[in-house]
Amino acid sequence: MTMPRMTMKACIGLLLAATLSACSGGATIEVPTQFPVPLVQPLPLTIGLHLDKSLTEYVHKEAIEARGNWRIILGPAQKPMFDSLLQGLFTGVEFVDDPLAPNDGIAGVLHPSIEELQFSTPQQTHTEYFEVWIKYKFILYDNNGVALGDWELTAYGKANEGNYGMKSKEPALQAAAFAACRDAMAFFTLEFQKVPTVKNWLQSALKEGRT
Amino acid sequence: MRFIPSIMIICCIGIVSSMTACVTATVQEVREANTGMSSNDSIVVLGRRHRPTPAETELDFVACVSKKMSKGSQGVKVIGEQEFMDAMFPWFEPRTAPVYTSDLPEIMSQPALAKRLEEIGLRYLVWIDGNTQRTESSGSMTCSITMAGAGCFGFLSWENDSSYEASIWDVKTGSAVGKVSSDATGTSYMPAIVVPVPLIARVKAQACNTLAGQLVNFLVDES
Repeated sequence: MTMPRMTMKACIGLLLAATLSACSGGATIEVPTQFPVPLVQPLPLTIGLHLDKSLTEYVHKEAIEARGNWRIILGPAQKPMFDSLLQGLFTGVEFVDDPLAPNDGIAGVLHPSIEELQFSTPQQTHTEYFEVWIKYKFILYDNNGVALGDWELTAYGKANEGNYGMKSKEPALQAAAFAACRDAMAFFTLEFQKVPTVKNWLQSALKEGRT
Repeated sequence: MRFIPSIMIICCIGIVSSMTACVTATVQEVREANTGMSSNDSIVVLGRRHRPTPAETELDFVACVSKKMSKGSQGVKVIGEQEFMDAMFPWFEPRTAPVYTSDLPEIMSQPALAKRLEEIGLRYLVWIDGNTQRTESSGSMTCSITMAGAGCFGFLSWENDSSYEASIWDVKTGSAVGKVSSDATGTSYMPAIVVPVPLIARVKAQACNTLAGQLVNFLVDES
């Protein structure tokens, strides 16, 4: 008789633990690292890409009152994301350690960074959506290491928690963060040539026939 | 003899799972132009995700319609939503996707995109709007777990309402060829005397079946 009782106690204990863990707030998610290459006509230039540690190791940590601790690990996705993005936009991409060092083999260097990340949960907004906003800052250098200018880009991603079943918190937040990264890529693809700094740089780089 | 209770439980689960509540579904179509598909043509079914959409179409509904359209004797070649969005990136993202057919020519003027569309043989874009919502619920149920056992008592009922509309665009002509809408409602019940017995109205599944079936007829019929 002791065994069934013990089994029953264990079951109740497990049930309570599962309920408590489901109710407890917070989550840790890591953004996926597979990104599509933009389907556009690439510019006949080789661009340098400088990614520093503050970007490739970026983690957003936030404690929300009565909702626990949240962590969005965005850093590891940044290298594949910008690599895929620039592979589609330019005929060549080269990673550079120092954007200030002159380099004749490239037309210029792009240095992206994350200025800010914000997210909201369905409980905060009284909707069914996890939402993520990422504010990027881009600095463009010419091939002599001279900073030509900078601009910002705010990307947005959302995911309906209803699409992810019972344990929706982690997958929905992950999907929202991933959607924000894709949105940044889409926005950059369509808009970067309209940024005055980029426009002037492209005109001279294409005219000079830099590689 | 020990097998008898197990068999009985399995039988009960089987009977209960096969019992479903009734669903009422209606489907309507509006044709604006002739359609038809050759063996090389393909279609894609996409959910509307652009901002601001308070109730966007569920991912599983879009996947269900795609799957149902590709099955059966009249089944057509359907490209998966995510596969299509990746292949066409970034032209069908929430920020960039065409909202009106008048937006199509601008997108199609991208040589790389036009080439990719030709490669995959895309003939029709099907945009789905709508979702399934719980419109009414009533009743109560109490469940308890004790050392002596567990059980529930009460009665629950809820009504779900599915309302979806598919807009069909002809990629070749860059025009809208028609709309198909599917509405379904049904009430689910869950009486419980110790064991809850769910009688689920599969509203969303019914809306998916009727919409997919009608879409195939709409596209394949050369009228």
